Amino acid sequence: MTLTRREMLGAGGGLAAALSLFPLTAWASEVVDIRMQGRDDGSHVWFDPIGILIKPGQTIRWTNLNPGNSHTTTAYNPANFERPLRIPKAAKPWDSDYLLPNESFSVTFTEQGVYDYYCIPHEHAGMVGRIIVGEPEAHGWPQLAGANGDLPEEALKAFPTIEDIMTKGIVRRA
Amino acid sequence: MKKLALALVVTMASSLCAMAAADVAKSPPAAPYQQVSKLVKLPDFLPGMGQLFVDPAKLPAGPFLAYDHDGKLVSTIYMLPIKDLNPDKRFDNLAAPGGNVDHVDVYYNAGHPGVEVPHAHVVLWHVSVADEARVAK
Repeated sequence: MTLTRREMLGAGGGLAAALSLFPLTAWASEVVDIRMQGRDDGSHVWFDPIGILIKPGQTIRWTNLNPGNSHTTTAYNPANFERPLRIPKAAKPWDSDYLLPNESFSVTFTEQGVYDYYCIPHEHAGMVGRIIVGEPEAHGWPQLAGANGDLPEEALKAFPTIEDIMTKGIVRRA
Repeated sequence: MKKLALALVVTMASSLCAMAAADVAKSPPAAPYQQVSKLVKLPDFLPGMGQLFVDPAKLPAGPFLAYDHDGKLVSTIYMLPIKDLNPDKRFDNLAAPGGNVDHVDVYYNAGHPGVEVPHAHVVLWHVSVADEARVAK
């Protein structure tokens, strides 16, 4: 298995205050796996889970488990193809580039807030995901999302709500 | 005399089609076709389709030529973006160099490198339904 790994480190905060809010599911390991999946005929593609709550300092590892397709995990950020900002302002954006089957890519999150990301070839098919680190920032991008540029309708429809992620910890697609 | 001329034309046309099919019957097909996995980051052999070749100038529609593990042509695939299936867009005169067609599949695909939008795969199979198994894995 080829392993590509890049770590993103930012300024963490609010850890102690957030500790009591987390469900055990995302706390069990420092590395949390998100699978990139798809049907054999390419008709459906998705991140699993699509929404997850983690603590600051935890690492997310995306792995392409789709034998017939390539996927990316790419943060919504102007640095990535001038896409709208949908991660905390202080956080560094990431872009895995295309991952072939069984390849992985990891990011360590230390900046608290809400992170939206997408798969480059599948954004229009609604292959997006949302990560919450700690808790949503007080005056972050979700309050401004309407002014941050357009996303494809299928992508906007696919995001789990912040409330759902905060309540359940892990959200899988319906 | 007219019948003879017509027969000659039909024969020549059939021969040309056969020659075109022969040109692409084995992998790799001649230029301008190129191996898709060398143009974009995709697995070289795609389960359900096979090893794909395309003329980059013909993207996104293709045709894509698909080969089995033995390098034999199994299908010709056209990839038509859903957003382009509208009253103002046409796909005319797409090349069809693969020869005889046994059956056709049409299905939705969410996208992949090279055609990064939802699109329809129109698959002209040059082998029987049972022989689709040659590219299943």
